[in-house]
Amino acid sequence: MTSPLRISFDVACSAEHAFEMWTSQIGSWWPSDHTVSGERDVLVVLEAGAGGRIFERTGDGVEHDWGVVTVWDPPTRLEYLWHLGRDSQAATDVEIRFVTQGPNDTRIEVEHRGWERLGETAGAWRDRNRIGWETLFPHFAAALMRGDS
Amino acid sequence: MSNGAACGDPFEALGDATRREILQLLSHGDKAVHEIAAELPISRPAVSRHLRLLKDAGMVAEHAQGTRRIYHLEDDGLRAVQAYLEDVWGQAALRFRLLAENTNPGRPR
Repeated sequence: MTSPLRISFDVACSAEHAFEMWTSQIGSWWPSDHTVSGERDVLVVLEAGAGGRIFERTGDGVEHDWGVVTVWDPPTRLEYLWHLGRDSQAATDVEIRFVTQGPNDTRIEVEHRGWERLGETAGAWRDRNRIGWETLFPHFAAALMRGDS
Repeated sequence: MSNGAACGDPFEALGDATRREILQLLSHGDKAVHEIAAELPISRPAVSRHLRLLKDAGMVAEHAQGTRRIYHLEDDGLRAVQAYLEDVWGQAALRFRLLAENTNPGRPR
């Protein structure tokens, strides 16, 4: 019933480098205002390998779990469970594919799905003949951004 | 009428079973705080805290009925989630691309 959210964009580097940066350097690129604590000096960590934890650590040393790596297949595919807030029962799935286009050209395809686990919440709106999850995400399916030309 | 832009994180708002239950309750009709509290195993102050978070995230809104505050589902509640996700992934993608390209060992010179 619920469409995944998909985005894709091109990066001028190899798939190996993209995979490495996505995982080991997630703390350098994930927007720090989109964290549980919202602190500026928060550290975000994605542990290598299936079963690896994804978490943030605040300046005070408090850790908040974000999820867990479910598929670790470098340099082509990565999947993880991603909690909404702190509730692991409401985890969604994020899948990232690193598609080699050339030696220095990789397409990143992100699919964010599993919204049906919040189904009863989406139903809250649908029950009043209003908008549901399934009507939302197809609009976001188009490429978010692409490399030049 | 606008009571200001939603500034809360809808992910945080939805990432809690009690808050999802409150949204479900409100789908059956508008309710005052004590009516919501009567259906949940938590105190009224706790319900108020959850409602404030849901309000900040743009999921619910309130209106006055005499001296009571009545809560209802915000029509655009799920759009707030979509807008949030677009913003998060948009920013993340942009920042990721900058980092990956700037650190690329095979970068053409």
